[in-house]
Amino acid sequence: MIRDRLGKELLLFDGGMGTLLQERGLAPGELPETWNISRPEVIREIHKNYIKAGSDIVLTNTFGANALKFQAEGCSLEQTVKTAVRLVKEAAKKAGAAPAETSGTGNGKRTVYAALDIGPTGKLLKPMGDLDFEEAYEAFKEVMIWGEEAGADLIHIETMSDTYELKAAVLAAKENTSLPVFATAIFDERRKLLTGADVPSVIALLEGLHVDALGINCGMGPEQMMPVLEEYVKYSSLPIIVKPNAGLPKQRGGQTYYDVSPDEFAGYMEKIVSMGACVIGGCCGTTPGHIKAMADRCGKMQIVPPAEKKYTVVSSYGQSVFLGEGSKIIGERINPTGKKKFKQALKEHDLEYILREGITQQDNGAHILDVNVGLPDIDEPAMMKETVQELQSVVNLPLQIDTVDAEAMEAALRIYNGKAMVNSVSGKQESMDKVFPLIRKYGGVVIGLTLDEDGIPADAEGRVRIARKIIDEAAKYGIGKKDIVIDALAMTISSEPAGAKVTLETLRRLKDEVGVNTVLGVSNISFGLPSRPVINAAFYTMAMMNGLSAGIINPSSEDMMKAWYAYHALMGLDTNCERYIGRYSSTQSSGGGSGAAGASPSGIGQKSTLSLRESIEKGLKEDASLITTHLSEKQDPLEIINTELIPALNHVGDGFEKGTVFLPQLLMSAEAAKSAFAVLKDKMDRSGEVQEKIGTIVLATVKGDIHDIGKNIVKVLLENYSFDVIDLGKDVAPELIVETVREKNVRLVGLSALMTTTVVSMEETIRLLREGAPQCKVMVGGAVLNQDYADMIGADFYGKDAMQSVRYARELFAG
Amino acid sequence: MKEAIRYLGYGRNTADERTCTMIRNAFSEVENAAGTKCICRIFDVEQTADNNTAIGNLIIDSRSLSRNLKGCTKAVLFGATLGAGVDRLIRRTSLTDMSHAVIQQACAAALLEEYCDEQQLAIGRKLENEGLYLRPRFSPGYGDFDIRYQEPIMRMLDCAKTIGLTMTSSYMMTPTKSVTAVIGASRIKERCPVAGCEACGKSDCEYRR
Repeated sequence: MIRDRLGKELLLFDGGMGTLLQERGLAPGELPETWNISRPEVIREIHKNYIKAGSDIVLTNTFGANALKFQAEGCSLEQTVKTAVRLVKEAAKKAGAAPAETSGTGNGKRTVYAALDIGPTGKLLKPMGDLDFEEAYEAFKEVMIWGEEAGADLIHIETMSDTYELKAAVLAAKENTSLPVFATAIFDERRKLLTGADVPSVIALLEGLHVDALGINCGMGPEQMMPVLEEYVKYSSLPIIVKPNAGLPKQRGGQTYYDVSPDEFAGYMEKIVSMGACVIGGCCGTTPGHIKAMADRCGKMQIVPPAEKKYTVVSSYGQSVFLGEGSKIIGERINPTGKKKFKQALKEHDLEYILREGITQQDNGAHILDVNVGLPDIDEPAMMKETVQELQSVVNLPLQIDTVDAEAMEAALRIYNGKAMVNSVSGKQESMDKVFPLIRKYGGVVIGLTLDEDGIPADAEGRVRIARKIIDEAAKYGIGKKDIVIDALAMTISSEPAGAKVTLETLRRLKDEVGVNTVLGVSNISFGLPSRPVINAAFYTMAMMNGLSAGIINPSSEDMMKAWYAYHALMGLDTNCERYIGRYSSTQSSGGGSGAAGASPSGIGQKSTLSLRESIEKGLKEDASLITTHLSEKQDPLEIINTELIPALNHVGDGFEKGTVFLPQLLMSAEAAKSAFAVLKDKMDRSGEVQEKIGTIVLATVKGDIHDIGKNIVKVLLENYSFDVIDLGKDVAPELIVETVREKNVRLVGLSALMTTTVVSMEETIRLLREGAPQCKVMVGGAVLNQDYADMIGADFYGKDAMQSVRYARELFAG
Repeated sequence: MKEAIRYLGYGRNTADERTCTMIRNAFSEVENAAGTKCICRIFDVEQTADNNTAIGNLIIDSRSLSRNLKGCTKAVLFGATLGAGVDRLIRRTSLTDMSHAVIQQACAAALLEEYCDEQQLAIGRKLENEGLYLRPRFSPGYGDFDIRYQEPIMRMLDCAKTIGLTMTSSYMMTPTKSVTAVIGASRIKERCPVAGCEACGKSDCEYRR
């Protein structure tokens, strides 16, 4: 088994395949894998040359062999993959070495391992692209099963530039084969993946998924790879693979070439082994000559055995967060407990509300976001999965999956793009039996609550004992202490006078005696008391002082943030007090308010000289909301809407159509009106008054289309005119649109499509709507459309711009 | 800046100071979110039957492209992207402020064009040493140059691996702020290589320069 040798001795991979095939006549754009069937002798020969040069591990010619990328006539994918494995085995025999399964028979021959090569699908995963996570998983899965059947000795996933796709591939390998898994990614000079991930986040993800070895390939030459390798050595506990190109790509006479010579290459690789690589080889542009020189130079070298690292890391697709460096902020706002609006958003499936909660917390300084969507009457696993997916498309912070529902936890962990934080496990055996297998499988940093079957211990001693129990039980699953964070539990001092003292002592002892990271839901401490922020902020500072690694708090609470900034400045955790100064140097008495759009209230203090109508026409968001607040003290909300808001919107809308007002201004006014509406809606909710909605409109960007900015513009405007908009998003299946229309008995649908290729699905949607919901009108818009085109596909109305759609909708519902 | 204002539908009108400030801010936000990358490869060109053009092994049936490449012996296949970070940024902003999002979108489009122009000039300077002069770049989806040619072009450039540029099943590029193009190269120096918009026949377009 290669596992017995990995990390104990240096193992050598082979080198490039593509460049060699091009030399032998492979045309640009031609699929190299077709040669497994059409010219097997060439592939076998190349393998043989690598084995003779000294390669212990030879990659099958299957880099692009997956159903999403490989579409060749008269060439079965299964046959292509299985033949590829066979060719490596045959080459090993021809080279006088032994394929892995025949070795160990004492024939003295060198063992050669056939590594099933798995490259990326060439597609971008949702939500940035159109490939579903599970679809990617399936594509990898079938190839891996065929590879194992054909006798591959390991799976080598390489050249991955997206952690999400990497995760799909590793999961497919782990769940469907018993083969060792190697995984390498392609970094650039900024030490990032194309999708933005840094080195620690890639390592955190892969270690969490328990690959056997991980590393770097392609993208750069050996010299440029060294800084990336340095980071790998610093953070990885697993054996490291390094497979550079023969330098950076250059062009000559239309051909790409690489110019690091075999000798130079070998020199660099010697350095790379001494830095800590355990498995080395070459990628683009390297040849059997490079591998031979590398084997001659490095073959006898001792490796630096990989050492266990102690970092506690959680990651998202784009960044890693280390616990234990200062105190981290976990935003608590995505949670329905005690929040009426949030509950309503969950029931109405208003994801945008939830996403905005996430964005606000990030803007206010959160490092990690807690995600809890548990309500008795919703499908929590489905909601959790959707929320996590959507959140990771707009916020690059690591997420903390917060649920007691094991099914929801697994659903979220599976599709989470990174190494998640998990909230939580307790000292109860039942809880540990349920949660630890999930952490073992998907990776994660899990919060351990210091309570068990006997409840919450009243003293620190008892809580520390439960913490130790949790850590010991986790160890049985191979989950290390570094992946556990203990919640010392804050109990309100209104009923437990010693509550704060016990919690603080527990924190200190967990840090000093147990050496584990800690977390607290800080604001519990003041439950039942008046002016809670006073107590919360003081307790937060005390908890940090006693070693709190992360506080679960509301980052929008200025008191808490002040405590956080002050603590880090005071304790020398804020170099030159830069963060503190950055946050507070320009703050006067009012505080807060980021004003991202550059629009600050024009009125100084509370009084603005503008009327509401003017503030909306000028698109001044803060003013509009401020003035509305004042106005609504003496005027009826509906009257304000009819005398101020609607006339202002009409005025701006007319201007837009005449060409005196332009899109940004139209939208600024819309946003200002929206903020005024929000104030009025609040007021009406409190008084029980209801504003009649004019009607319900379904909006969608059609199937296959992922551009939704136009649709979003229309949505903002329609909402301003009191329409209830059901936004189905982008890339929406026609069936879902028809179903929604029928279910809600909707009279108008707005569809958008950007390109000729997607107008086809617009036409299909209209056809299905006519069959399934003949009463419903359809308006269309989008870059390629015009009146003729709209007529051709059978739309009722073509909106040249957003205002026209509004006008049509108003006419339709007025009539 | 001027381009972004044009993309926002201002035509020849000027934007007010507040919008200009927002545009300036949006430019730097987009620049910070961008991970700009490009790739190019040069191929032999042969113009065969009426409208057929062979670029390497790829045969393209398009009258507009063949007109664009008339007299060229070589063509550069070109791919460029601002990266997925910009898509994320715009999506994030759309949730909180649509006017801001629309401005970022226009800035991203302007930035991408500018980046392509710069890269094209750089490629042009290199090729001039070999006595080759570039034509304006021409992208699938314009004129009768079918959008579906995007697929083989991206394959020939190995875009997914080299610059992280991929395509959906309906030929949309992801990340969305991306370009693929054919840039003809001929022995004869003809005209300014980066003229684009003006060459188009659609003279009533509201976004026309």
